[in-house]
Amino acid sequence: MRSIQVCGAGRAGDGTNTNISMLGQVLKDLGAWAFVWREEVYSNIQTRDTAFGLRAADVPVYGPDDEFDILEAFDQGAFVDWTGEGRVPPLARLRKGGIVLYDSSPRLEYPNAGHEVRPEQVEAELKAREARLFGLPMGRMAKEQFGNYIVRGTIALGVLAHMLGLPEEAFARRFVRIFGEGSDLFRLNLEAFRAGLEYARAEGWELPDLRLPLTPREDDERQLLLGNEAVALGSIVAGCRFYAGYPITPASEVLEYMAEKLPSVGGVVVQADSEMAAAHHVIGGSVAGARAMTATSGPGFSLMQEAISAAGMTETPVVIVVSQRGGPATGLPTKVGQEDLNETVFGGHGDFARIVLAPTEPEDAFYMMEKAFNLADRYQCPVFVIYDQMFAQSTYTTPPLNPSRFTIDRGKVVAAPANGHNGRYRRYALTEDGISPRAFPGMPGIHTIYVNTNEHTEEGYITEEMVVRKAMVEKRVVKRMQLIVRDRDLPSPVVHGPADAPIGFIGYGSVYGPVLEAVQRLAEKGQKAKFMALRTIWPFPGREVRRFVDSCRVVYVVEYSATAQLKGLVQREATGPMPRKLRSVLRYDGRPMTPGYVLQSL
Amino acid sequence: MAVYTPEKPLTAAEITGPGAWWCSGCGDFGVTAAFKDVLVTLVNELGVPLERVFVMSGIGCSSKEPEMLRLNAYHGQHGRSIPVAMGVALANPNLVVVDFGGDGDSYAIGMEHFVHACIKNVNMTLIVMNNQVYGLTRGQASPTGHLGLKTSSTPEGKKVRPVNPLKLAIAAGAAFVGRGVSWKKKELAELMLRAIQTKGFSLLDVFSPCVTYHREPGYRGSGAIVDWYRLNYVLDIQEAWREMRDQVFSEEERAHLPSDYDPTSPDAALYALRLIEEAAKMGREVTGLLLVNESAPTLEEALGVSPERAPALADISVEGNLERYRKLLAELR
Ligand SMILES: Cc1ncc(C[n+]2csc(CCOP(=O)(O)OP(=O)(O)O)c2C)c(N)n1
Ligand code: SF4
Ligand SMILES: [Mg+2]
Repeated sequence: MRSIQVCGAGRAGDGTNTNISMLGQVLKDLGAWAFVWREEVYSNIQTRDTAFGLRAADVPVYGPDDEFDILEAFDQGAFVDWTGEGRVPPLARLRKGGIVLYDSSPRLEYPNAGHEVRPEQVEAELKAREARLFGLPMGRMAKEQFGNYIVRGTIALGVLAHMLGLPEEAFARRFVRIFGEGSDLFRLNLEAFRAGLEYARAEGWELPDLRLPLTPREDDERQLLLGNEAVALGSIVAGCRFYAGYPITPASEVLEYMAEKLPSVGGVVVQADSEMAAAHHVIGGSVAGARAMTATSGPGFSLMQEAISAAGMTETPVVIVVSQRGGPATGLPTKVGQEDLNETVFGGHGDFARIVLAPTEPEDAFYMMEKAFNLADRYQCPVFVIYDQMFAQSTYTTPPLNPSRFTIDRGKVVAAPANGHNGRYRRYALTEDGISPRAFPGMPGIHTIYVNTNEHTEEGYITEEMVVRKAMVEKRVVKRMQLIVRDRDLPSPVVHGPADAPIGFIGYGSVYGPVLEAVQRLAEKGQKAKFMALRTIWPFPGREVRRFVDSCRVVYVVEYSATAQLKGLVQREATGPMPRKLRSVLRYDGRPMTPGYVLQSL
Repeated sequence: MAVYTPEKPLTAAEITGPGAWWCSGCGDFGVTAAFKDVLVTLVNELGVPLERVFVMSGIGCSSKEPEMLRLNAYHGQHGRSIPVAMGVALANPNLVVVDFGGDGDSYAIGMEHFVHACIKNVNMTLIVMNNQVYGLTRGQASPTGHLGLKTSSTPEGKKVRPVNPLKLAIAAGAAFVGRGVSWKKKELAELMLRAIQTKGFSLLDVFSPCVTYHREPGYRGSGAIVDWYRLNYVLDIQEAWREMRDQVFSEEERAHLPSDYDPTSPDAALYALRLIEEAAKMGREVTGLLLVNESAPTLEEALGVSPERAPALADISVEGNLERYRKLLAELR
């Protein structure tokens, strides 16, 4: 594999997101597999340090590497922890011999003065890293030549294009897509880009060692999308036509995408007044017959627990996306965590059937949404799709996605107008497999669909009678989970690495990329390791996990949780305590896992 | 398959459920009787297919309503029927959604949803059986309980002021705001029918006395609490209009006012609020039809759904949507 990694570091409002994203788009257009993530974003809109990361490789990549090859510094925060809060500035991750491209003009626009980039303040560190410095007065050029400070980022793109040998046409094509052919913004950006390019050419700045060998593909149908977008897109193709949500990071992109697109396929999106309302709207939408979904994160997920219990009791299919961030409470709104696994697997009061799916990367997520909706309808229970901020808000390059691979299975739905005594439909009719055919209000001739959150009879009326209660619990939970466990649509764990490897890793969500690369790096050093990525978390794939653990000498469960929630599940459902064999690689500082972080924790 | 015709009309018996939940004399019986009359009218006279009626409820004595019926229904959790009802209504605007709640259900634990349902103007009807107490949990005071009301949770009399749901609904923009009383079935049924037929969110608050837990000094024995309401508490909006015009409106204003209270007047919201205030000074609560205003777009209209464009009935086949899906994919490259 060959990859380069770039960090754009500035302050919120400096356009680092645009700068890094555009570079990623161009590299992808030129044939690379690009991955863009939020290296450092705070839960406010202005004034804090902001850094975005880009990794581009000649093979698919699913996460950041440890070190940056190039650091674009638009603000002194790229170099120093100016607040003294214990922040680790991006410079700390610049590789030996790495490139620093910085704005050598004073800060010309910014509410907080004193943030011009001054490499001399960190001279010793730059020297120790043998950093190669390239300074150009981007700010002054932007202001004086273009009258627009924000094009600093575009000027930097021009410089990088020259250094890395990236063709101007590739940038121009993206500018057209983003700003519109012939628009003022298009011209402005193209000119700023050229100014940067010319500057670098005049200075003779070249970085042949950092050029990726790239060949653009014909009819490149690979996708470039956020994890959240892959989930939203997959759910639309899976037939979701009802979405209710309440904005929350890092799940808002699902709401936003659905709000923009769902009406165009006959669906509806309602921005609810809380997650409590959202989850109940979704139950209503589903009872009415629509495939219905919501997405949220920790605080909102807590508010949904009551509704989740209701979906379980009423046997209402709902899909709930849990995009985790650091907790508890408000926690780290914009940063990664995996602390809500227990709440997802065990949350909601009472016993009921549920399914928890966990995509490893966006391609997986896209197709997994088909399973999520089909399973929900087939087993008439809540289905959770759980992941985390790094997956949700990172942009991945995926192979082409094919909607024709989806099939829609709505499970048991009544064919004839009635299924019970006296021609009366019974919502909770006791059947062989415990699943009662659904009917939807408005179906001609059926006026007895009685859905009830109280314990109920077959007709749906309240009962507390022992015999009925027992039969209903068995139908709803016991038999249902037995059926679910055997379903071939449950995504099975994927294992990477040689079968006889003595070192094992287990993880889910965005640890996928970093652990995969950790395993590869161990192999390069002659150490055999393998990795089991879980894709269904409930029902827990106990047999597969037990076999995997049995085949290893030591197993590391890698997760973003101080209390090792996933390891706890492994122990509870598969292996028992195994204190010496089962170990943890934990990260709970809100920062992304990297291959080096995993290896250094062993 | 049941099709109701003039020869074979729907009867109340067919939509009567097995439920036996209420104390004898409970006001909720009156509400149920009125509702069944309305259903029979809807189906037999107004041509609404029975299968399109969807009843909702939360938790409380009042929320046992679907148990008393035999209809498509969702019996939810305490305070949460409104957001579920909103989901049903949005997913399939062909349905007639009627939600039954209690005063605790809708105005305490479900208040968030109640106010937002008014604001969003979702096309549904909320019928609240207001009895000033939490019947099902044995009589604690509810948010509508009047000052001084003695209950098991307010042994010295209620000291926290009550909520006025009518004022809230008016301020929040409900399309229909009315108040019925459980002991006048015909009037109640008329209010219900009008509420259901109104486009947008309808609040029908109904005084539906709890004969078991609502105690008032000096009123003992069965039926006494209804007397208390009748003699001490309620004031018909028309009567209030006639009697309070002099107190509420200036001479100049009176010159332009119609002789009867008109709930469809563009100024009905303001008039209603003033009458409610004035009545409250005498310790009275107004009853009757306060407001009908269908001028605001419903949530369904705002979000582009309609009986013809019902998300629950949308084509979700992959083949039927392939071109659109391909376009969505192409945008994310
Ligand atoms: C979340 C929750 N909290 C508390 C309860 C207990 N509870 C059941 S009914 C009720 C109050 C019912 O009062 P109201 O809504 O006025 O209905 P009523 O019984 O008076 O008709 C309460 C507090 C519950 N079921 N759920
Ligand atoms: S307790 Fe009160 S509200 Fe409940 S059924 Fe009895 S009379 Fe009606
Ligand atoms: Mg009550």
